[in-house]
Amino acid sequence: MKPAGYLITLSVVLILNFFIPRLMPGDPFTFLSSDPDGVSIVYTPEQIEKFKGYYGMDKPLTEQFISYFSNLVSGDIGYSIYYNDDVIDVIASRALWTISLVIISLSLAGIAGIITGAISAWFRDHLIDRLLYSFMILFSEIPAFITAIILLFAGGAWLGWFPLSGGATPFRGYTSGWDKISDIAMHAVLPVTALVFARLGEFYLLARSSMITVLSKDYIRTAKGKGLLKRRIIFIHALKNAAPPVVTRIFISLGTVFGGAILVENVFRYPGAGFLLREAVLVRDYPLIQGLFLFVAVSVLIMNFTADMLYGKFDPRVRVS
Amino acid sequence: MLLKYGIRFSFFILLIIPAVSCSPRGGDSDADKGKLVINLEGGGWGYPSPYTHYSRGPGVFKMRLLFDSLLERGEKGLIPWLAEKWSVSPDGRSYSFTIRKGGRWHDGESLTADDLKFSFEYFTLHPPASDELSAYGRNFIKGCKVIDPHSIRITVDSPDATLLAKLGSTRIIPRHVWENVKDPKKFDSPQSVIGSGPFVLTGYSREEGSYRFEAFKDYNGPKQAVDVIRFIPVSDSVLAFEKGEIDLTSVPADLVKRYENDPGYTIIRNPAFWGYRLLFNIKKKPELKDKKLRHAFAFSINRKELVEKVARGAAVEGSMGYLPVDHVWYNSRVKTYPFEPAKGKELLSGRKYSFTLLTGNSRDEVRIAELLKISLSIAGFNINVKSIDMKSRDAAVRSGDYEIALNGHGGWGSDPDMLRRVYSGTVRTDASPSSDAIPGYSNSEINRLAMMQLREMNSKKRKEIIFRMQEIIAEEVPQVPLYNTKGYTVFRNKKYSGWRHMFDHHEVTHNKLSYIKI
Repeated sequence: MKPAGYLITLSVVLILNFFIPRLMPGDPFTFLSSDPDGVSIVYTPEQIEKFKGYYGMDKPLTEQFISYFSNLVSGDIGYSIYYNDDVIDVIASRALWTISLVIISLSLAGIAGIITGAISAWFRDHLIDRLLYSFMILFSEIPAFITAIILLFAGGAWLGWFPLSGGATPFRGYTSGWDKISDIAMHAVLPVTALVFARLGEFYLLARSSMITVLSKDYIRTAKGKGLLKRRIIFIHALKNAAPPVVTRIFISLGTVFGGAILVENVFRYPGAGFLLREAVLVRDYPLIQGLFLFVAVSVLIMNFTADMLYGKFDPRVRVS
Repeated sequence: MLLKYGIRFSFFILLIIPAVSCSPRGGDSDADKGKLVINLEGGGWGYPSPYTHYSRGPGVFKMRLLFDSLLERGEKGLIPWLAEKWSVSPDGRSYSFTIRKGGRWHDGESLTADDLKFSFEYFTLHPPASDELSAYGRNFIKGCKVIDPHSIRITVDSPDATLLAKLGSTRIIPRHVWENVKDPKKFDSPQSVIGSGPFVLTGYSREEGSYRFEAFKDYNGPKQAVDVIRFIPVSDSVLAFEKGEIDLTSVPADLVKRYENDPGYTIIRNPAFWGYRLLFNIKKKPELKDKKLRHAFAFSINRKELVEKVARGAAVEGSMGYLPVDHVWYNSRVKTYPFEPAKGKELLSGRKYSFTLLTGNSRDEVRIAELLKISLSIAGFNINVKSIDMKSRDAAVRSGDYEIALNGHGGWGSDPDMLRRVYSGTVRTDASPSSDAIPGYSNSEINRLAMMQLREMNSKKRKEIIFRMQEIIAEEVPQVPLYNTKGYTVFRNKKYSGWRHMFDHHEVTHNKLSYIKI
């Protein structure tokens, strides 16, 4: 996609981003005044009008849109009604958890997918290929949140190897930097594993088919004829040419992984943006919903752009065309 | 090359998380050694200042641990708290409070009547997240006068039996902290959580939803029963309870047996202050003006079945007088409507009625709706169930865009003035589902009694009026209370067993007295 294409996509995203939350029935103040937890908090119509005035929601929709757009240009993406804080701060405190989760999962799923795909392709139609193929097909069909629940019960509750929830142990006095890192890593194991399993099948299948194509090329036959080691042929000669489609897919699948992360974060109560998005939609916190969608949209666009760039780098034919 | 970069990049990301993401507000586990530390289920409920907590139960009560009020909710009614004595003038227009001497703020400053006056005036100007100081859509305070360093007199514009509880529940904030704060919603520095309550906030992580409260050493009220209260994130509360991560949890009715015969656990039943009711929109379906039709509904709903099948026995049938069985002013002599579909059919006199039942999309609501459809069809009602998300349902109920609706909410243990809000057609509806009036319904006797109880400052006389109102409401059936939940709470008694309920609320962890020696 050319830069103009990205700009148009971004503009469409911004427009949808503004109007979709407002088309949903209900508003942030109806929820604030309901009392599902038993404490009656009753806002009178006057108070609600006052709140709407405070958040600029009493103005006509077009005026709100112009104000939203001009604020956006000046870097102000709004003030969260439910969380009583700048949207950018609310998102920033959680975004890194999600980004880390997504990137680590994608990288690991990509690496594992490429390796297993390469092995499967080399041993095509052998037992190992059939086993891997069946296993991957099975896993690619299981939604991330189901895997997450199974992992929660198995790895967290039953075996007790990993923490059940959160991103770090609350109020733990860390003795060293390493202590802190290992605590955070332990909390990330189950969510990352759930997301890796969710994407692994897709990357494996792509890597396998790409590898099968590459392995039929003349230069591989030459390499085999020269008596090179099997490992060297697969991982040095073949993989270099089989990997680009998988790498592109990794970047393109970022949006889907964000979707998966929302569910996985909710299972593990992981403190990321996915958990936040669920809350924001439930309470109709328009500025926060807008901010989160913008964050996801921009992340996906950046990743697509990176994929375009990287593909050109790995495959000179694309760059030339 | 790709693999190498991938691994390096993943590891790099893993390393930078702790450097930038972890909250600096986290506490130190070594500091908790030898202390009684209670761990409870956390969650993001906002920074616990009076303006930045989220306006729902768990958010409100965390703020209340830090900020005291003049009165507190005890097990049977209001009890002295910051105020050691109080009085109400015979005309109900003047309230005097005298606070205990020696009160201190968490920063060591003295608490005086100036702080009380300031709090009432500041909240009038800037309503907090849970605003107690309004009635009939406006602030009711007319004047506030400091009598001496420990006494204050508040005058209100009209007598109102509910105002003592409202004034008594208002949080008191330190003048020296807040007097220069122009936009309190954006004031979230550590100073904004300086209160005079029994606990001090010593740890908070917004993204994790964790809180740490420690007993305030200079507190001059009743002594704290626990040293530290920690709220930590949990994926599943029962799982976390089983693993010993938290010390108390609510358990579904089907799981209670697991803890029944173990002496290490205590099970308590929550009072029935959360419930479902079936709302009638008489404005949209004028045929519901006919009392016979409303009675036919009441006789054709199998509420016992709802309690058994949906609530799995952890509930009680709703009282047709509205106030539930555990309410301090519940009238047990109101008319009852046992499940008698034949009687319902007889009341319909062979006529067929069709209604669309609007409901939320929670599992329980959908089940209730389906069971209602089945039991009502026996009498001759044709019910179409329309299930939408909770927020959309709330909005539809608020705008009157429904025929009959199922709604579930808390607050059933509150002041009985709720009968006026719900049943008196003269009251404007506000945005709370717990005070959804019945569109198109008005009964002159209910309206008269509703206003009379509001103005009656004598508690005994007021109780009699409320009892009479329940009887008329049960006869009228302007809506059908279905059932009130009586959930189970389980805790490890060896560690701590001071959990107790407030007289008007179903959740023990929301009760400040649960953490205090009284």
